[in-house]
Amino acid sequence: MALRAALIRHLRVPVQTVSPAGRVSQPSVANSLFGSIRFMSSHDDHLSKEDVADRVLSVVKSFPKVDPSKVTPDVHFQSDLGLDSLDNVEILMALEEEFKLEIPDKEADKIDSCKLAIEYIHNHPMAS
Amino acid sequence: MGERAAAASLKFVTVQANSASLAEARARVFEFFKTTCRSIPTVMEIYNLQDVVNESQLRSAVSSEIRRHAHITNPKVIDMLLQKGTEELHNIVQHSKQRHHIIGQYVVGQRGLVHDLGTKDEGTSDFLKNFYKSNYF
Repeated sequence: MALRAALIRHLRVPVQTVSPAGRVSQPSVANSLFGSIRFMSSHDDHLSKEDVADRVLSVVKSFPKVDPSKVTPDVHFQSDLGLDSLDNVEILMALEEEFKLEIPDKEADKIDSCKLAIEYIHNHPMAS
Repeated sequence: MGERAAAASLKFVTVQANSASLAEARARVFEFFKTTCRSIPTVMEIYNLQDVVNESQLRSAVSSEIRRHAHITNPKVIDMLLQKGTEELHNIVQHSKQRHHIIGQYVVGQRGLVHDLGTKDEGTSDFLKNFYKSNYF
């Protein structure tokens, strides 16, 4: 057994790419092109920050108790828009629905302005 | 059920709410509100409400129901109200109610009782309208 393993280790066959024509081929230009475009990769499909900001602002503007003209990316829900804590939670639930997320309670308690919401959603890996 | 609703429905299996302080009761209220909002897509699918309401209107309906009792400060009363709310939510999500219940109580109900929208009751006094709603006004 040990002899067989030693023999196999000595018999190393160089690996070469063999094209269907049976000839040994060099890595072609086409292969290197396909190497740079990754069709099945999901690494780059994060939302861009402007996209997130637009959607967050549209959700906040369509909230019934909010005056759309006052909504800016820096607005604070309770002090600037005159909402209360229950409205704050309701806006967060609307954002959860829009981005198909589920925000845990600890993080949700800290989000009380548009800026924090945009930041949190942008950094969340599952936002879509 | 959607994943969010399935995860949220596990919260129905709860211990009896027994809040030590107003802050704890307040936290429970927000927790209940979040569970309810996360079950809204399921409710819309069960009762086919897609053409009647959208989800933000149902969220507003839920929050106004909660806001009706916003002035209460006794944690035991808040716990009792939460228990009634959880029971109601449970009934709705388990399809123990029917579509006309949901529409009458949470969709149309926000604009005033359904029978008040008819012409027959428009002339009745405010005293009677309050009396129909509850004993204490």
